Amino acid sequence: MKARFSIAADVYAKMLDGLNDLHQLDILGSQFDLRFISDDYWLGDTAVIDKLFYRKGAWEVALVFAHHKCPVKFIARRITRHSCPKKAAQIGHYLRRAAAKDQRGTLYVDINELNLPYN
Amino acid sequence: MPVNNTKHRILEASVHLFNTHGLSNVRLQQIADEVGISVGNLAYHFKNKEAITSFVYETLFEDLKQILSAYMVRPNLSDFDRQLNQYYDFFNNHRFYLIDLFEIERSFPDVIGLWHEFTGKMLLQIRKRIDYYVQCGFLVSEPKKGMYDTLTDHIWMTIAFWIPQQILKGQPLTVESFKKSVWAQFVPYFTNQGGQQYLNELSPVVVSR
Repeated sequence: MKARFSIAADVYAKMLDGLNDLHQLDILGSQFDLRFISDDYWLGDTAVIDKLFYRKGAWEVALVFAHHKCPVKFIARRITRHSCPKKAAQIGHYLRRAAAKDQRGTLYVDINELNLPYN
Repeated sequence: MPVNNTKHRILEASVHLFNTHGLSNVRLQQIADEVGISVGNLAYHFKNKEAITSFVYETLFEDLKQILSAYMVRPNLSDFDRQLNQYYDFFNNHRFYLIDLFEIERSFPDVIGLWHEFTGKMLLQIRKRIDYYVQCGFLVSEPKKGMYDTLTDHIWMTIAFWIPQQILKGQPLTVESFKKSVWAQFVPYFTNQGGQQYLNELSPVVVSR
């Protein structure tokens, strides 16, 4: 009889456990689980602005995501920090291009959209 | 395997004769007569009876492997029911495994080693199925430690030895009675949900295949 591949009993038991778990995991998620997609959908239409801040001896790169129609709806996130301002600026530039929906920057925030009262 | 292949015909004839007369009582001449070829032609394909037996067992274990690979294709009770159909066909078509169990143990130690391995896998599958049915809420949690291990053994015994005990009692062999006997082991442990699924989905299947 030909030599056969065999598997240890404990490994086989773990494989069966894995198959059992697969059926437990492979179930439909609730609407709530995927709500973050609809909640964050507006981020797809934001103008991305890179900002540098000097803080605690290093230049921090932050990205501001502002909605192009409603600029008061925005979020700012600190991404990284560098001791060299030129490097921080360069990194900020590339991060902005990577994060923005349109890499050429045609989405921008119009200051008139803010409806600032000047009186 | 092609249907007209001589080896396949020899395999079918050997299994038939083993089932009828027992492994040790079958001679090469009988197999050759059953296939309709000469003993010389038979020896061309298999040099002796041990070679035929090895081939028969290789095919038999291949069939068993196929049945074991059908574990948890679907996450419900009917998945096990489907596997039971396959177990029934397997044990019914290879009855000689039990008739010659002790002969096999003496003459073919490799074969008995493989039986042990596959039996271990069958038992593990049944045990893990019980765990899964508990997780799904089809079976109650283990009432007392070790009870489901015993249940596993009982279910395995029913699957493996149902056919010989029916023969001993002189009772007819039907897949429906076989499956009823296996499912009867589960019934006392069903939750309401499990019992409901058994009644709705399995009872009709158990009654008619």
